[in-house]
Amino acid sequence: MSFSRRNFLIATGVAAGASTVLSACSSGNAGGSGSNKAPSVDKAAAATIAVGTKADSTGPAPEVEGAVKGGTIYTLDQIDCDHLDPAQLYSSYEGAVSVPFLRGLTGYKVDAKGKVTLVGDLATDAGTMTDGGKTWAFTLKDNVKWQDGADVTIEDVRWTFERLFAKFVTQGPRYPQSWLIGGDKYKGPYEGKHLDSIEISGNTVTFRLKEGHSDFNFMLAMRGFSLVPKKHDTKEKYDKQPFSCGPYKIESRSIGKSMTLVRNTHWVADTDPIRNAYPDKFEMQFGFELQASTDRYIADAGNDQYTVSMFNEVAPTRMQQVLGNATLKKRVLTQVDTTCYYYAINTKRVPDVKVRQALNYAWPSKQAQQIRGGSSSSAIATTIISPLTPGHQDFDLYGKKTKPTGDPEKAKALLKEAGKVGQKVVIAFQQSDTAVKTAVAIKTALTKAGFDVVTKQVDKTSFYSQIGQLDNEYDLFAAGWGPDWPAGYAVIQPCFDSSQIADGGVNWPQLRNTGVDKAIAAATVEADPKKAAKMWGDLDRQIMELAAVVPDYNPIRNWMYGSKIGGIQYDAGNTCIAMTKLYRKA
Amino acid sequence: MTLPTPSAAASLEVTDEIGSIPDSSSNPKGSESRSPGRLAWKRFKRDRTGVISAYIVIFFFAISICAPLIAKLYGKNPYEQYGQEKDGLLNDFAFPVKPNGGIDSNFWFGIEPQLGRDVFTFLLYGIRTSLMIATAATLLTTVVGVVIGITAGYLGGRTDYFVGRVIDILLSFPSTLFFIAFMPVVYGLFIPFSDEVPTWLRATSLILVLSAFGWASIARLLRGQVLGLREREFVEAAKVTGASSRRIVFKELLPNLWTPILIQSTLMLPAYVTAEAGLAFLGVGIKDPTPDWGVMIQRGAGFYADDITFMIFPGVSMVIFVLAFNLLGDSVRDALDPKSKR
Repeated sequence: MSFSRRNFLIATGVAAGASTVLSACSSGNAGGSGSNKAPSVDKAAAATIAVGTKADSTGPAPEVEGAVKGGTIYTLDQIDCDHLDPAQLYSSYEGAVSVPFLRGLTGYKVDAKGKVTLVGDLATDAGTMTDGGKTWAFTLKDNVKWQDGADVTIEDVRWTFERLFAKFVTQGPRYPQSWLIGGDKYKGPYEGKHLDSIEISGNTVTFRLKEGHSDFNFMLAMRGFSLVPKKHDTKEKYDKQPFSCGPYKIESRSIGKSMTLVRNTHWVADTDPIRNAYPDKFEMQFGFELQASTDRYIADAGNDQYTVSMFNEVAPTRMQQVLGNATLKKRVLTQVDTTCYYYAINTKRVPDVKVRQALNYAWPSKQAQQIRGGSSSSAIATTIISPLTPGHQDFDLYGKKTKPTGDPEKAKALLKEAGKVGQKVVIAFQQSDTAVKTAVAIKTALTKAGFDVVTKQVDKTSFYSQIGQLDNEYDLFAAGWGPDWPAGYAVIQPCFDSSQIADGGVNWPQLRNTGVDKAIAAATVEADPKKAAKMWGDLDRQIMELAAVVPDYNPIRNWMYGSKIGGIQYDAGNTCIAMTKLYRKA
Repeated sequence: MTLPTPSAAASLEVTDEIGSIPDSSSNPKGSESRSPGRLAWKRFKRDRTGVISAYIVIFFFAISICAPLIAKLYGKNPYEQYGQEKDGLLNDFAFPVKPNGGIDSNFWFGIEPQLGRDVFTFLLYGIRTSLMIATAATLLTTVVGVVIGITAGYLGGRTDYFVGRVIDILLSFPSTLFFIAFMPVVYGLFIPFSDEVPTWLRATSLILVLSAFGWASIARLLRGQVLGLREREFVEAAKVTGASSRRIVFKELLPNLWTPILIQSTLMLPAYVTAEAGLAFLGVGIKDPTPDWGVMIQRGAGFYADDITFMIFPGVSMVIFVLAFNLLGDSVRDALDPKSKR
């Protein structure tokens, strides 16, 4: 699944996406005009997420109309969470699942109309900025409690951020590590030392940053900065069963199979502007392929009526059946997403830029799109910054839109020029039915262009952990990146700045280019948002000229759910279904 | 899916009569001058089901051997993604635009949804792969089973005991599970991580593993036959005249065992075809893009709701083949051993 998430509130033509009703007749006729009007990524306008006031940050969360309390809600997903320790948690799916039991200083509030605002979650408001964004202060709310009834203290807040520096933390977002003063030398709180740039006094915590970051509060809303109690911190072991301060706590967990969330009786609704917590219980089930879950939603029997998926979308093989049927389509939430899925090219293993460009030319973008279910599933991407993110520039360096099925001749010519005909490329996929088919299409297309292709299906749960290792044995990997908050910075800096090359880091291409580094530094300090956006767009082009990645697609999500689930809302902040707004219809 | 353990009970009855077929009175008309083989052939020709089945089986083998030739005449290959390279074949959901899975004069059996390959050539090549593997596995199984079975039966004693226990273990082993768990390890041993597992290795391992678990049933059956035969007078006579063990096994015993061997192996082949397809379905056998019957059925299963045509061709052709081959096996048994027919 896509890494990460903070993105714009996305205005889409979801309701307008009525597809032609295709009737599949018993003779097996799969025909139909295929003139499905899917929401278009290109035309979706980007709107920023507003910062809420103190009043917005005060609980309880706005009621969902017609919601009823009680009962159990089920989930049906392909994978379990690889990490639940906030410090290690980065993928948007893990983030989505963690909303009911993890709380951070700030968070995203979804109102009845689906509008998203950044508010204080455990903090009384979305933070106070002084000194041009170099100093940020947050005040902790009163009466917020851990699942054992103990108060959440300001000590816990400091502990949460200090432990990010510990050695065992290798996976989560790394912004505080590089933004906080003294962060480069600090080794974590376990040896008894505190980081001086995090100050606490009374109920207030103050962060001191090296440079001004006016979006620091957006950064803190990432699920990875949820609080961890000092008293119950078990370091590495914390990953399996984190301590809750939200409306639910983890009752039991069988890794890879199921997880049960029950009410945390110590949670006070008045302190929480984000979570409604209608059902008594969540039964989360893992290990279901897309097709299995889609078929169960179509059948809509028994407990499946009370089921949603946080990860599983409509299976590509069922896309026509579901979106072509007006009744079934009612139970689908369609949403354009800011993520860009791309195949990162390991520049350490493929140092020749011509080979990387050849890969881009030869890429079977359209074939892969068809395998995902056609244009109602995704739009072919040509850039790294999604059309929904500020700074996006529309360019197509490798003719992906003019020759969507790939240009093997041109790729072959480039390979010949580089003297690398027959170059071996090992491609890692996130194992799934769709990935197996995509691998076939990619192999066929690249072989035509003169590559020797080896495809490897890697277990989805640990995929990002594996490709994050610097000495991995893959040349290309099917990754995805959504901005952590709406800015070019959040797309480019973590993934392409050479300072981010580290085990468990997300500079997957391991790109080390001084030109790019300099441009990133310049764009980071640019104060004028318009100019900065232009600079990020230019950087996008610069990186694409180096062909560090093969842009693949921008997703259009189609989540299906059971008929007796109410309160389905999209949380544009976490790019997922807002889990704590759901209720069980009587 | 189960690995083949064809009905041993049915063929057990066969044997005792074999030695006596030449002077059998079951077919008075031909008893004077015809060899048992000719008699059996005559009986087989009279069996209409058997003959039709034989034609079907021959047809399948013929098209699989001639697959490249047919594909050439037809002008397509199973690897090209036609549906995506030409416009107007797949709709926006990547399903065939034309009815019935996109069947038309260009694509006789339609095109594959999503990947857009030609179903006709893919099926031809898939049948070819499956039949090749199944035939090779059947031959190997038969040879191994015959050698071990006869040896164990003839030598008796400790050898028999030892072989008997090995067979017990093999017959009680969950071979499919073993295969799923063990194959990745085997590939890992022979192929460096960064290389693709070559198709020949996949095929060879499939053949070896299928045979390794398959020989036990045929060996056990033959051992039983041999136990009965070795006490017979003609074996005694050979022993008395000083024939070597080897001569007794190959010249005295084996000719009397051809019937069960033939019957067993004709029943084994279709079982292997389904076993191979099953393993490919589970993702441990032959892997895409190498065309395979089982892979095709697996793909088809995903589309049954909207494009059942794509599942019908591989599915129905497999049903026809396996059914025909099983009927053929029955007819062969009836022809060779008319007494087993009620």
